[in-house]
Amino acid sequence: MIRIAAVGDIHLGPGSAGTLRPAFDTLGDCADVLLLAGDLTRHGTREEARVVAAEVAGLPVPVVAVLGNHDYQSDQADLVTRELAEEGVHVLEGDGVTLDIRGVTVGIAGTKGFGGGFAGRSAAEFGEPEMKAFIRYTRACADGLGRTLSELRTRGSGLRVALTHFSPVPDTLAGEPLEIYPFLGSYLLAEAIDGAGADLAVHGHAHLGTEHGMTGGGVRVRNVAMPVIDRAFAVYHLAPPPG
Amino acid sequence: MTSVENLDYRVEHLRDRLAHEDIAELGVRVEARGAWVMVWGGVADARSRAAVLRIAAEELEGVPWHEDLTVQHAGPPGSAEVLS
Repeated sequence: MIRIAAVGDIHLGPGSAGTLRPAFDTLGDCADVLLLAGDLTRHGTREEARVVAAEVAGLPVPVVAVLGNHDYQSDQADLVTRELAEEGVHVLEGDGVTLDIRGVTVGIAGTKGFGGGFAGRSAAEFGEPEMKAFIRYTRACADGLGRTLSELRTRGSGLRVALTHFSPVPDTLAGEPLEIYPFLGSYLLAEAIDGAGADLAVHGHAHLGTEHGMTGGGVRVRNVAMPVIDRAFAVYHLAPPPG
Repeated sequence: MTSVENLDYRVEHLRDRLAHEDIAELGVRVEARGAWVMVWGGVADARSRAAVLRIAAEELEGVPWHEDLTVQHAGPPGSAEVLS
């Protein structure tokens, strides 16, 4: 089994340093990789990113992350990414990483993603420039995710995971007010995942949502926002491909 | 008596403060229900919970409100989910 640990929305800052480290120190016993599904900070400052980086520094498993909307709040996403990367975190945005886990090539494709809503109730790329830019941005995130998943398959990944902050499906938003679903995710992410294929999709962002969902194409989706899973991380066991 | 319209605005003012103050808390749900306001959800730690309650008390002064704010657990999971 390949053991995927994941958590999102940890919202760390100087006042919460060390909160998760005791739990993260157990990862070597129960997981092969840790995925961070965005909203790692509160305001997206370099100082907060340093706290996150210290929280995962030197862990016995590789750490792969995407950023979330909070991590963009101070317009320093590049600095947040740099602080994390300096501690060895793979920060993805429209790209991916492959990990050799006991002989299995595990590919992680990541994007923050964005909103727009879900099929039959989604915003259209139409009208004002701001509205068009909104959906174009989501589409660009989804395109990057789909392209990366396809590349990971071509490069021989036996297992592929799609890592986002925003949700690809409405299933895992249950518990959130229906009216804000368009700000919580987009069907474009699910369409990209289903188009390229994946073994698991992991996201955060929806604090009041639920853990379990599935894309229309049958890919399991897990909302790992920390308020949802109510623990430091969740662990999913994926069977490696036969042969 | 506070009108329903005024309660709606008070709710949004509270949500706005929660987002923009140091706590940057967008995950707490705040809603008007009849003559009351409900504040609920999960927050990262006891300090965040205290901050949300303080800001709510300031912003909802004069309005009856209930809270059901929980603090999420930061321990490791007891088991894994097997997906096969």
